[in-house]
Amino acid sequence: MDEKNKRRSFLKNLALWIIGGTTALFASPIFFYLLPKKEKKKLNLFTDANGNPIPENAVEEGSYKIGLSEEGPTIVIRREGSLFAFSAVCTHLGCIVKWLPEREEFLCPCHAGRFDANGAVISGPPPAPLKRYSVEITPEGLIVLS
Amino acid sequence: MNKLIKAIDERLKITELYNKYLAGYMVPENLNFWYSMGSVLLVMFSIQIITGILLLMYYIPSVEKAFESVTFITNKVPMGWLIRRVHAVAANLFVFVLFLHMFSTLIMGSYKKPREIHWITGFLLFGLVLVEALSGYLLPWSQLSYWATTVATNFPGAFPFIGDWLVYLIRGGEKVTQLTLGRFFSVHVSLVPFTIFILIAIHIFVMRRTGISYPPGTDETKIKKIPFFPHFVLEDLKVIYLFLALMFVIVFFFPQFVLPKDALIPADPLSTPEHIKPEWYFLANYQFLKLIPNEFLGIFLQMIIALLIFLLPFIDRTPERRIWKRPVFFTIVVLGIIFYIILTVWGYIS
Repeated sequence: MDEKNKRRSFLKNLALWIIGGTTALFASPIFFYLLPKKEKKKLNLFTDANGNPIPENAVEEGSYKIGLSEEGPTIVIRREGSLFAFSAVCTHLGCIVKWLPEREEFLCPCHAGRFDANGAVISGPPPAPLKRYSVEITPEGLIVLS
Repeated sequence: MNKLIKAIDERLKITELYNKYLAGYMVPENLNFWYSMGSVLLVMFSIQIITGILLLMYYIPSVEKAFESVTFITNKVPMGWLIRRVHAVAANLFVFVLFLHMFSTLIMGSYKKPREIHWITGFLLFGLVLVEALSGYLLPWSQLSYWATTVATNFPGAFPFIGDWLVYLIRGGEKVTQLTLGRFFSVHVSLVPFTIFILIAIHIFVMRRTGISYPPGTDETKIKKIPFFPHFVLEDLKVIYLFLALMFVIVFFFPQFVLPKDALIPADPLSTPEHIKPEWYFLANYQFLKLIPNEFLGIFLQMIIALLIFLLPFIDRTPERRIWKRPVFFTIVVLGIIFYIILTVWGYIS
């Protein structure tokens, strides 16, 4: 390679590196901007529709509460002193189920799908059981689901 | 890879276009620093479009949410502060470089035949960029944006007969409200940018049709020519990097220049901050209006000056482009610029 071509190829490479570097420099903040910040893992509290936490003493023996958790509408029932939590979304077409304490089963009002107290399907069209969450109580008496 | 490129080229003849419009496009070798202003403006426009699209992802054009959403972008979104500052600083630089571009065109007489359309489209672009800057100013819904817009949208009210109607039309009501924010948002993100884009396309098209102007005094028969790409593009890049460096110096070290204290306080329609003033590029117009006792006369005189500048290629029809051979014109331009700078500084300190 003669002197002129050496110089030419050096300058060409230099220009490409400068332009490439500038592009990368401009692209990196844009990349981070487009990537939403990961929020710190928060407690998956059981709340009402306005986001206010529901305390465990609000769910009385034999009764139930429908509220929200990270995964959407959630139902918490109390049986024999213990709390049990399930997704309140029927696995058939997404209607919200009710707890019938006298029968100890969940009923979907849309197409009469029935689930037992563990969330398993008893009858009707639902193809899968209700999703069950484990329940913990914070020292302040709030319901945490996982 | 080479095979793929060759196959595409065989069908679309891209190399032919490259040879004809880039490598084969010859420009005079004595083009100076001022000839790169157009490329700097293209880069600034691209930066505004990219950062603008990014800001749009989080911005909410509502009087209740706008300030909150801008604060969210600045404080919570990764690199949001950088994107916002670059958008604000590049907007100011855009106007500044436009001034330089028009100034060099005036001094070098590049608006003369056959480049009248370049001047007309350029002047319209200048006006549109000012509209873009003014409309974008309101969007953060800060004290600064609210009161600067209130003052600016009051001026058309000085027109006899149609003044009140004009103010109502611009604001969408009696006062600056959600209706004003809605129309300013629409103008800022769609109407004006699209129009600017089309006018830039026309501006470049006519520039390529007539060819780039020679620096005044050049003997066109003797001057050596160089290919536009890569030779002149590299010259352009040097100037582009100079302005990018300037932009980042302001972004990192002097952000308060574009985001003063009042820009960090949410709009309060019941409390006007002290010393509210327009942006630096409107300071001369603002001071001019303060000096003329009759508001309508002040606006009318400024419109006459703007019209004279707009029609310059049709008023100054002599073919001479060398500034030292045009002493009367040179004196008018220099006095005009000195007057403009004095008004700007006066407006700033008064």
